[in-house]
Amino acid sequence: MALTDPAFVAIQVLNAFQLASLLFLLSVGLSVVFGLMNFINLAHGTLYMVGAYVGYAVAQASGSFWLALVLAPVAVALLGAILHWLLLARLQAANPMKQVLATFGLIFMGLDAVRWVWGSQSHGLEAPAGLDGSVTLLGQTYPVYRLFVIAVGAAVAVGLYLVLERTRLGARVRAGVDDRDMAAALGIDIGRLFFGVFCLGCGLAGLAGVVAAPVLSVYPGMNMSVLVLALIVVVVGGPGSLSGAVIGSLLIALVQTFGQVFAPALASVAIYAAMAIVLLVRPGGLIPLKGRS
Amino acid sequence: MTLRLVTLAVLIVAAGASWAFSGFFGKDLLTEIAILAIFAMSLDLLAGYTGMVSLGHAAFFGVGAYGMAAAGSLLGLGGLPAMAVAVAAAMALALIVGVFVVRLKGVFFIMITLAVGQMVHAWVFRSEALGGDDGMGGIIRPDLGTIGLVLDDPADFALFALVLAFLSFLALDLVARSPFGRLLTAIHQSESRARALGCPVERYKLGAYVIAAAFAGLAGALAAQRDYFVSPEFLTWTVSGEVLIVVIVGGMGSLLGPVIGAAVVTLLKHQLSDVTTYWMFFLGLFFVLVVMFADRGLYGALRRLKRRREAAT
Repeated sequence: MALTDPAFVAIQVLNAFQLASLLFLLSVGLSVVFGLMNFINLAHGTLYMVGAYVGYAVAQASGSFWLALVLAPVAVALLGAILHWLLLARLQAANPMKQVLATFGLIFMGLDAVRWVWGSQSHGLEAPAGLDGSVTLLGQTYPVYRLFVIAVGAAVAVGLYLVLERTRLGARVRAGVDDRDMAAALGIDIGRLFFGVFCLGCGLAGLAGVVAAPVLSVYPGMNMSVLVLALIVVVVGGPGSLSGAVIGSLLIALVQTFGQVFAPALASVAIYAAMAIVLLVRPGGLIPLKGRS
Repeated sequence: MTLRLVTLAVLIVAAGASWAFSGFFGKDLLTEIAILAIFAMSLDLLAGYTGMVSLGHAAFFGVGAYGMAAAGSLLGLGGLPAMAVAVAAAMALALIVGVFVVRLKGVFFIMITLAVGQMVHAWVFRSEALGGDDGMGGIIRPDLGTIGLVLDDPADFALFALVLAFLSFLALDLVARSPFGRLLTAIHQSESRARALGCPVERYKLGAYVIAAAFAGLAGALAAQRDYFVSPEFLTWTVSGEVLIVVIVGGMGSLLGPVIGAAVVTLLKHQLSDVTTYWMFFLGLFFVLVVMFADRGLYGALRRLKRRREAAT
């Protein structure tokens, strides 16, 4: 097992892409919301966990993974709407710090809520028929489901790119991220935009949860490591931009995957070091927003 | 008499009375409150006075606890020197980490402290020298026989923790009242103004970060002695989160608020865990409600009550 074996490297690159796909789904909503409102939802990882659990429950009840794949993101987006209405909308006038702290309290609540409903043990979710096999790539077998994870991330990235760059709605979001006050002065309702982007981001976190469930198991506490990785992606990629989320996800996933293989003790530290360096050298992230320094 | 002195007197009398009249379980609870109070006061210097809301304060608590264990079982030091090593280790880590993190503000500071906390946890979890996820034992409590205290006795240990909590309060209060502390408050109010007046903001923030880490390390060293055992649990994000809850529930920027918060949250936790296994849910809910409706905390509420009383007369 070494870097000289092309097949081995290719497999690790695929593994990294799979992780990047999940990280992208998680971080893109966080990132755009941060760009719009200077607000970081610390319960974002919790929504990912709820997505995984709802997906598990739906798949258990209906026997259909595909139904779970559709319903879990919708359920989590609805939960996001409720959170916005109960909590964030009421705290919007106050400083963003209060919003962040309130979402921190939600992590505690979410952790015990899933324990309450689904117990402390971990659950597994089977990959659906057709995606549960494996294929041979460069002489190595590789699970088809992981390729599916990559495809989902790529499809969402392309879809979001088209919406952001080619539609009026996307232009509004970009305007809001670039200069909130100016956009508001031009008659764009930033509050409603924030609500929409927030709910979409929550839904994508839920999607990440249900997509991740067959690869990683579903357990209380699965949210924290993922939350920190997603925060690192947001910081490294630079908040507010789609391309930043894509590049940040790929970078962090590559460092994480290859680090785990070659220097497991160093890997966890290397990620944080990468974050610290980017924060110090380029505080706006790798893709800084125009007009802000 | 000022509210501050009255509150302090009430807290001391309450602590003394509950120490004198409580049984084994009560003294254990009192020890826990004293340790959490030291930990929360240290975070208050950062969050309340300097405006650096950290979500990774458990790193220093954990390093203090592990420093205590390692100094005892790996270096063979006695109780008091081991405590000094624990505090020094926490300060050293704060100095290294602080150079980077003090440049960040607000939400970015929250994120990087959370990440650093998780990093230290991940590192200890994998470290073979520190026992990995099994944790470490072999901790000895200091020998204070010369002043007639046997710390292996729960009553004496509770007294030791309470006295240290009181001394920590005096020390941190001194820091907060000193010119250095006044400047921390000035930085909190307006960083650019402090900078314009010629204050080296980063250096002051770093100073606050290291001092806060020292007291967090002291709390960690005491927690290690209480359990005679340390584990990566000491370093988890929930520990950082709980202490922030304590500070905010008690009232930021007062040092006494966190002490009240430590007592209230510890008692609440014990009451809740008698009723339900899912006490974290209710603790989280309580925290969200405090942030939404009473962000000045219990001490802030006392202050307002007093002001209203004065306005009425």
